[in-house]
Amino acid sequence: MFPLRLVRGYRALDLVRWLLTAAAAATAAAFLLRSLGRALGEPSATSVPRLLWCLPALAAVGWLSAAAARAVPVQHPERIAGLAAAGYGPVRIRLLIAVETALAAALGSVLALLLFLVLRNDIAGPGLAADVGLGSSLPAAAPVTLLVLVPLVAGCAAAAAVPLTDALPGRTAVPHSTGFHPVRIAVPTGLTVVGMALELYGLRPGAEQDGRPVELPAHLGSVGTAALTGWAFTALGLALLTAPLLALAGRLLALRRPGPVRLLAARSLTAEARPLAGPLAVLVLGLAVLLAALAYGDEPDLPVRAAVLLVTGCAVGAVVARALEIRAARREVTASLVRLGAEPATLRAAVAVRAAAAAGALLITGGLTALFAAACLV
Amino acid sequence: MSAAPPDNDVLWARGIVKSQHGTPALRGVSLAVREGEVLAVTGPRGSGKSTLLGCLSAQLPVDEGEIWFHSSPVHTLGRLGREKLRRERFGWVGSEPHLVPELTARENTALPLLLAGTGHRAAYTAASEWLERLDVADCAARRPAELTQAQRQRIAVARALAPLPRVVFADDPGAPLHREEREQVLRILASAARSHNLTMLLATHDPEPAGQADRTLTLIDGRIAGPASSTAGPAAGTTIAGATGSTATGSTAVTAAR
Repeated sequence: MFPLRLVRGYRALDLVRWLLTAAAAATAAAFLLRSLGRALGEPSATSVPRLLWCLPALAAVGWLSAAAARAVPVQHPERIAGLAAAGYGPVRIRLLIAVETALAAALGSVLALLLFLVLRNDIAGPGLAADVGLGSSLPAAAPVTLLVLVPLVAGCAAAAAVPLTDALPGRTAVPHSTGFHPVRIAVPTGLTVVGMALELYGLRPGAEQDGRPVELPAHLGSVGTAALTGWAFTALGLALLTAPLLALAGRLLALRRPGPVRLLAARSLTAEARPLAGPLAVLVLGLAVLLAALAYGDEPDLPVRAAVLLVTGCAVGAVVARALEIRAARREVTASLVRLGAEPATLRAAVAVRAAAAAGALLITGGLTALFAAACLV
Repeated sequence: MSAAPPDNDVLWARGIVKSQHGTPALRGVSLAVREGEVLAVTGPRGSGKSTLLGCLSAQLPVDEGEIWFHSSPVHTLGRLGREKLRRERFGWVGSEPHLVPELTARENTALPLLLAGTGHRAAYTAASEWLERLDVADCAARRPAELTQAQRQRIAVARALAPLPRVVFADDPGAPLHREEREQVLRILASAARSHNLTMLLATHDPEPAGQADRTLTLIDGRIAGPASSTAGPAAGTTIAGATGSTATGSTAVTAAR
């Protein structure tokens, strides 16, 4: 297959991307197969909610695939140029990357299915017997249908994420504008303020008589509707505010006569705020929820741990993929800085200062999200 | 190994051999550049002009041969030494402006000064002055993406000249421009070099770059073709050393009539 033959030219970084996608797909597939196994054992029981629980896992796989696929054209400009010279248009290049991602996900899914079948073959101890549906026959179509879902999600996410214009050589990427439309700032700010007010209303001293109707999963207890809605609004608003906050951090960093390190760090943070903000916001949101849950929930069991690992891993992977994409896109700029005689130490210091400033901005959004999540759970 | 080269030359090279991408780009080039001279290097595409400038400006290590800058060897310098030399002594204008996209024109121009440790105020004052001299003062607060290619190239010229380097390397600085703008950029570079007594090496595939240059070298297939011709240079006949004893590498003597 052509996509597989292209893989032969890959370096370590791309193989890591492949393996990460495959591992995430395997974990998501394991969740799907577990819900299948449970459904085999107790057909009439709550199989639909269990399948719904697989959605976050699938979303995590899609998120990672999208972030990784988006970085491919920038990281392999010579390959994209070669394909374009050979007559590949933007749509076919996009398709190629999508198929490649789907293949990695299919590999992971097949591995998960093999494990499932091996476990069903009387190896599973009593602890896992219910999870693999031991003792009941397995309809062949069921696991196949479920497993097709994972590569499909990964492939579609990858196809949607590859930027059409950048996928062709000779297109110099237009730098992201550094300003934000007032609406782009006003709406998330409004969401955050309304959310905080709603949550504070839900947690007011006399709120106990409202009751706590929403039962949270993973033994996290129950919360009131107003508090939960309020928190959701706050989290969404803060996540959407990440990009303007990163840009603002860059502007603040450039105040008061910056030297070369601070100038480069600040201006690049402002310029890259938009592409960086998405993956960072998702990661910060995930970590905030995780921290609050760890502080106020019970000891999680194995499937919950696996789910947490999958979601966090995919979120971290997406951030790394975006960072690598930005670094690859700035290859020319770095080369011209080196030509000017910039020392590697200066460039590294600029990266470190930029990371520190970004971390400062993220501490604000993440800290507030975690704080309000914890207030819900108390 | 011979004795150090004559010390009245800013740059002195002998028998440079350099392969790029598996093909020999320079096959024994020798030359000497005088203090304050504007030397044009011409030749068709692929004749090794850019490689020659890359080697002389300490960006590319040579395979064979010697390069001396003010009687100190460049070819033996390590990476850090070459970076220091580039930062403190050399300026570079490429055929593409290669500005840092997120910095404004003034910040781009001030960047080499800041990197060399100049204070913020002095660097920005110098940057503003150079932008004004190059007629792009009104672009000072704008980013490269908002400017035309000609304006960007002028800013690249300002960036190269602002630290007042000893030697300015200009690798086909007019390539992305129309003829009028190209001539203007070359004229600006040459006159800036003359008024500040900078030495300049100008590579161009234009056969007539060069009303601006004191002297013209023609490179063909990595060798210097024929004697260098002198255009409007100050007359003082010198034969530039270089041929003696380096015939093994097939180097070509550069005989300049100055």
